[in-house]
Amino acid sequence: MQLGSGLIIGSVYALVALGLNIIWSITDIPDFAQGSFYVIAAYAGYFAVTLAGVPFPVALLLGMCVGAIMAFSCERFLYRRWRERTFRAAARVQLLVAIALFFLFANAANAIWTSKAKIFPAYMKGSLLGLSYMRINVFLAAIVLFILVYLFIMKTKPGKAIRAASMDVGMAQVLGINIDTVNSIVFAMGGALSGAAAVLVSPLYSVFPTMGDLPLLKALVVVILGGFGSVSGVLICGLGLGVAEAFGATYISSAYQHGFAFFVLILTLLLRPKGLFGRV
Amino acid sequence: MKHFRKVMLVITVMAMVLLGLNTPGFAAKVIKIGYTAPFTGSAAEFGVNGWRGIQLALEEINKKGVIVGGKKYTIEIKRYDSICTPTDGVANVRKLAMQDRVVAILGDHCSSVCVAIGPLCDQFKIPGITIECAADKVTKPGHEFYFRMRPSVGLMAPLITPTIVEKFKPKSAAFLVVNDDYGLGLASAIATELDKFGVKTVVDETFERGNTDFTVYLAKIKKAKADILFYIGVTPEGAMILKQAKEFGVTERTVLIGSEEMGEMELVSLAGPEAAEGTYAVSLWGAVPADFAERVEDRFDAPMHYAIIFGYDALHVVARAIESAQSLDPVKIKDAMKKIDYEALEGRIKFENFEGYRNQCRFVPSLIQWKDGERVPLK
Amino acid sequence: MLSSKLSANRIALAITFILLLVIPHIASSYIVYVVILAILFSMLSASYDLLTGYAGPLSFCHAAFYGLGAYTSALLTLKTGMSFWLALPISGMSVFLFGAVIGYPALKLRGHYFAVTTFFFGHFMYLVFLNTRELTGGPLGLGGIQPPESIFGIDFSGMTANYYLILIFGILMVGFLYALVNSGFGRLIVSIRENEDLAEAVGVNTAFFKVLAFSISAGLAGITGSLFAHFFRLLHPSTFSWMTSEMIVVMVLVGGAGTLVGPIIGAGVVTFILEMMRFAPELRFVIWAILLIAILVIEPRGLAGIYARIRGGK
Repeated sequence: MQLGSGLIIGSVYALVALGLNIIWSITDIPDFAQGSFYVIAAYAGYFAVTLAGVPFPVALLLGMCVGAIMAFSCERFLYRRWRERTFRAAARVQLLVAIALFFLFANAANAIWTSKAKIFPAYMKGSLLGLSYMRINVFLAAIVLFILVYLFIMKTKPGKAIRAASMDVGMAQVLGINIDTVNSIVFAMGGALSGAAAVLVSPLYSVFPTMGDLPLLKALVVVILGGFGSVSGVLICGLGLGVAEAFGATYISSAYQHGFAFFVLILTLLLRPKGLFGRV
Repeated sequence: MKHFRKVMLVITVMAMVLLGLNTPGFAAKVIKIGYTAPFTGSAAEFGVNGWRGIQLALEEINKKGVIVGGKKYTIEIKRYDSICTPTDGVANVRKLAMQDRVVAILGDHCSSVCVAIGPLCDQFKIPGITIECAADKVTKPGHEFYFRMRPSVGLMAPLITPTIVEKFKPKSAAFLVVNDDYGLGLASAIATELDKFGVKTVVDETFERGNTDFTVYLAKIKKAKADILFYIGVTPEGAMILKQAKEFGVTERTVLIGSEEMGEMELVSLAGPEAAEGTYAVSLWGAVPADFAERVEDRFDAPMHYAIIFGYDALHVVARAIESAQSLDPVKIKDAMKKIDYEALEGRIKFENFEGYRNQCRFVPSLIQWKDGERVPLK
Repeated sequence: MLSSKLSANRIALAITFILLLVIPHIASSYIVYVVILAILFSMLSASYDLLTGYAGPLSFCHAAFYGLGAYTSALLTLKTGMSFWLALPISGMSVFLFGAVIGYPALKLRGHYFAVTTFFFGHFMYLVFLNTRELTGGPLGLGGIQPPESIFGIDFSGMTANYYLILIFGILMVGFLYALVNSGFGRLIVSIRENEDLAEAVGVNTAFFKVLAFSISAGLAGITGSLFAHFFRLLHPSTFSWMTSEMIVVMVLVGGAGTLVGPIIGAGVVTFILEMMRFAPELRFVIWAILLIAILVIEPRGLAGIYARIRGGK
């Protein structure tokens, strides 16, 4: 049971972290705003199911689109403004904007839909080995999304451009890769992954304005743990952190459940300063 | 320079908007009352519900007007966000007292904030009334100018525990508690009382607000085979715990008893009637008039919540005190509040000094059970 | 041209200084309270600027050191009956040493690795404040803290005396930081920021100086925490959460990192803007975030950039 719930929580961490990781390794932006795209996508999914009555997979797709569009727009209209600037603090301005966006969307959700949690109706009944199908689906969907992202990055042309850009942006530009397009793709992808994670877990938990805080926090750790630019590293570390937390809370102390990440992080970084699977 | 002008323009416009919104209206006969509550952050739902209750009371009161010295006044509420942090709560109260010159202050909802603003009410000599702070030390030893209607956690535990022991005859108890002043205070008070009846606490777990996955805790409780499980916290997490407890079969053996919020209609809208079915909750209010519940439903499209009732009663208490004092002097209003005695929605409002408490009402909490999505009070 | 600029700066400084001196006598206790908070945040921002603005690494745990100083000072006076005047330097020193212990391993990491590690260290310290209930009172808060003992016949139980106490410490701290960044040490850490490898190549022990800057910055935050504890007299973990750390980062970056004056002004501006927004309880942070983004779109270098434009007449 601990293993099961740890894996599911871990899938959520891994999904959010994957988007963050790709964005971070290419654009150097720790995109805090992903935490709020997560929230808005969950609301989008919730309203799609309750108001429009669409089936769950459609809601999932819609959540992914909402996340993708939001992330894409933020990159296109905000972050991009400061990319070409050569002043020293450009990266910090982007960070500041990311923090501001996180505040903005999470608080806007609070102002519009109030802080009252919304319950996402269950879309499936039944369970297997003590775990409901809805839980298992989160895990399965995460795996599928990871494989898709992996194939996309490894086998397609835009994927190759992304890989090139993550190694050396300057060199990629010399080789004729349009860095604007790459950025748009990775942000849209990151937003879609956050949105997917949000809609997938919403039926298990609920939808509320501060729901993005914890996944964001943990995804940041997973990014660092996994190392920049490693898809499989993110998956393994995300799942690993989820399981470690579940067991830590059971056998050590539940009060520090969300503090274990810190110890795991410190230990790992002291032993391997570039993360477990980092290339860069 | 061109950009700079734009900045200045933006700042000027902002400043004008701010000033415009801050300037009081021209209505002369207005009594200002302050309200500090969390409207953002993870405790925002309390502020939202409290504000609903206050709005309902405000509409009733302003329809008739408050008659002081033969003149008719209306009440205006100044409300500020405390985000549930003491530093912001103190800033609110200082602003209400010094800038807005309010005659009374409603709030806050979080005990850590109430503890900080109680002494300030004494300092400014403005009566304050907490909406739902539950920690003992808010009114024990208390402050001359700070009032509380609901029973504190230390008052609730000895009243409710014998009923629970008699009904369920438990041997062991588990606690799943939100990690804040309210959760920890009520849990330790109940655990102490249970200990007197020889009921052992086998699991004692705390969680943070905003947590969504409780499977780890529930596994521990299932393994410990506890007879009763106290969930002390609020509905959003409570609803998830109910659903997950059903999912993992914890409720088959263990009786789940929730704290006040778990007896609110909101729980059913969050968890659904099936998940809540058969569980119990401690409740501070028995039943409200049907037309009141309807008004809440019509006006806000929201289920009944105790913070609505508390907020509604709090403003009525202050309005009554102003009318009976026949004065807008905060000290006289405070004196009138001490003499108030009437039957409000939540129970009998009479502020008393007893057992080290000061300006504290006493009413007895009851136990309710969920059946088919309805709260059924147990005798 | 240069001299007129200088004198304009001096006049602005003098006006600010006089205003700060007379505020308790002309404004309500609410304004004084907000100004005290602004001064405390200015101290935090200025000390944070030493690390992030001058030495370079971006950290997200300044509020943890602030809290650590506050709890250390409060517990020393509460449990051992120590005088505030002794507890203040002791808590500053212990946070300084603690900063060194944390900084030594953490600063081996570079860039984002360091930033995220400090972020989690900050969150971890918040959990410690929350969960060591026997010591810190946890979510119940730590109350009963006494105001500083009176010296020279000045009683510190009131607001005005506390205001001047914090103002004096603020001026001392800024003066100290000003001297520090203009000393050889200051130039050294700037050279590390500009090119760490080069600094190392010419024989500078970069690790040592980075840890030193980190610890001094932490220690000063600790002193600020001690002042806060004995002014506010009630400590609650929420005051020292990661939101506070992020707020300090925002203040410093909005003001202009690496200028010392910028972060101080940034702290003042952010505190007052958030205070003015009180009229819109639900939309406070929404408006604030939009304003912040708007400022950055118009002038990415923040307030320091806007100031430079006015000065440069561009």
